Amino acid sequence: MRRSLALALVAAMVFGSVQPALAYLKFGVTVGGAQMTLKWAQTPVRYFVTDQGVSGVSATDLQAAAGRAFATWQAVPTASIAYQFAGFTAAAPGRDDGLSTLGFRSRPELDRVLAATSFVVDAATGTLVESDIFFNSAFPWSVAPAGEANRYDFESIALHEIGHLGGLGHSALGETELREGGGRRVLGAEAVMFPIAFVAGSIAGRTLKADDIAGISDLYPDGDFNQALGSISGRVTKDGQPIFGAHVVAFDVARGSVVGTFSLNAQGDFSAGGLSPGPHVLRVEPIDDADVESFFEAARTVDVDFRVGFIDRIVVVPRGGDSGEITLRVVRK
Amino acid sequence: MLVIVPTLDARAARAQSPAAPQPGRFEVAIGSLWTGHQALGSNDANETTSAGGSLTLFSTSSDLASAAGLEGRVGVRLRRRLEADVEASYARPPLRIAISNDFESAAPATATETIRQFTIGAGVVWYPPYRVRRGSRVAPFAMAGGGYLRQLHESAILLETGRFYQFGGGVKYLLASRPTRPLKGLGARLDVRALVRSKGIAFDGGHYTSPAIGASLFVRF
Repeated sequence: MRRSLALALVAAMVFGSVQPALAYLKFGVTVGGAQMTLKWAQTPVRYFVTDQGVSGVSATDLQAAAGRAFATWQAVPTASIAYQFAGFTAAAPGRDDGLSTLGFRSRPELDRVLAATSFVVDAATGTLVESDIFFNSAFPWSVAPAGEANRYDFESIALHEIGHLGGLGHSALGETELREGGGRRVLGAEAVMFPIAFVAGSIAGRTLKADDIAGISDLYPDGDFNQALGSISGRVTKDGQPIFGAHVVAFDVARGSVVGTFSLNAQGDFSAGGLSPGPHVLRVEPIDDADVESFFEAARTVDVDFRVGFIDRIVVVPRGGDSGEITLRVVRK
Repeated sequence: MLVIVPTLDARAARAQSPAAPQPGRFEVAIGSLWTGHQALGSNDANETTSAGGSLTLFSTSSDLASAAGLEGRVGVRLRRRLEADVEASYARPPLRIAISNDFESAAPATATETIRQFTIGAGVVWYPPYRVRRGSRVAPFAMAGGGYLRQLHESAILLETGRFYQFGGGVKYLLASRPTRPLKGLGARLDVRALVRSKGIAFDGGHYTSPAIGASLFVRF
């Protein structure tokens, strides 16, 4: 029971504070009073894999499955991020050694953490120096192609954590239900970056969704991303006042894809890029399918006291431009 | 689609001398065109379940509502019973997306915008060798054509293009005839068409068919 409720959380070990930037959730650092988006300045990003396996997953299996997950992110045609396997290492992830390392560590006290990503950032320049991912060997893991009952799919979880390593925060595109005894069960998710993992045995998390692709492309735009795709922007208000932390979902009616974002400042502003041109339906909802702390720092006051609703106009995303200011008015519960 | 049904039987048609065409070689017309609603299909906003299935976040059903617009046409008589037309139209049909079945019980809603739709096309008009009666001012016809379609979203930030095809029929009624004058005639036209659109605003990639009714006044030279 405990294991099926596990969360895939990100831990940010940075010298500066971590803050969301506009558009999706991206990590940011404050340097000299200015906020900078946390991202890799140079690619390919070189990564090492620890030479220690666990039951059912050898070091070679670990490297192969992690390699597939890295390749999945790298294959996004509208993003320029690239990764390179640099070799095996005896060093465990989490050490401040200048090397980005993936590997297992036994952390039984973290009974709801399957894996976590940490960062080392140069406080003076905001440069991302290193990012490590540890996978909690207190849980059972699998690299079986079709998954394995009662074991977490390593590739799925690695795909999520590598999204963090690239600079993405969490997406709220998922539905959950509370379970007896605590925790949540995922009913559906449409983003690899949703903070709660599918149940053990599932391999549904091996495929990037539109939301993930838009997010990574927004961070590392490439190809015709800026010319062929467009964005939406606006603000969310309640009783005429802007609200922070509202989850805005854009549904592309022609393609059936969904992309999410949040109102991310005191003015209630939101924006989302990487959207296909055409009519979209906008839905706004409070964060209620995961802990607010999965998305924002605990110090931020997130407004969840409003009803789920839709905007009564069709929002058109232009090719290579922005929809123009949209106001989403929500109603108190 | 309107099927032209001859009002005289074949024997009567043979007995009648070939109907003289209505006067004038060139025709200029302006009028209104009503286009019926086009269902654009249904799409669900889905999420993926742990088993790889789908969970519906909400459902949508879209349509381009009926609208009346303007239509202009210039025709030239090529043969005794055959006319070629060039035509253009403008309309502002509402695009509607009905939203329902929300997973978290949000109230159903309808998102709308008004499209600006332009068409330019060409076609042929054929007059069958029948008249309601000798000397009648009424001339039935069949028509077919097609052309280019531009649909501009309300905020004018995105243009969608496509093609249209139409076929149908109707009648022209000559209100005044002056065969010896430069302005040879004045009349009214009423037609019913099947309008088939491809591409443009399309949510399921298909073709959309709707009825259309045109009514116009024309002058002949």
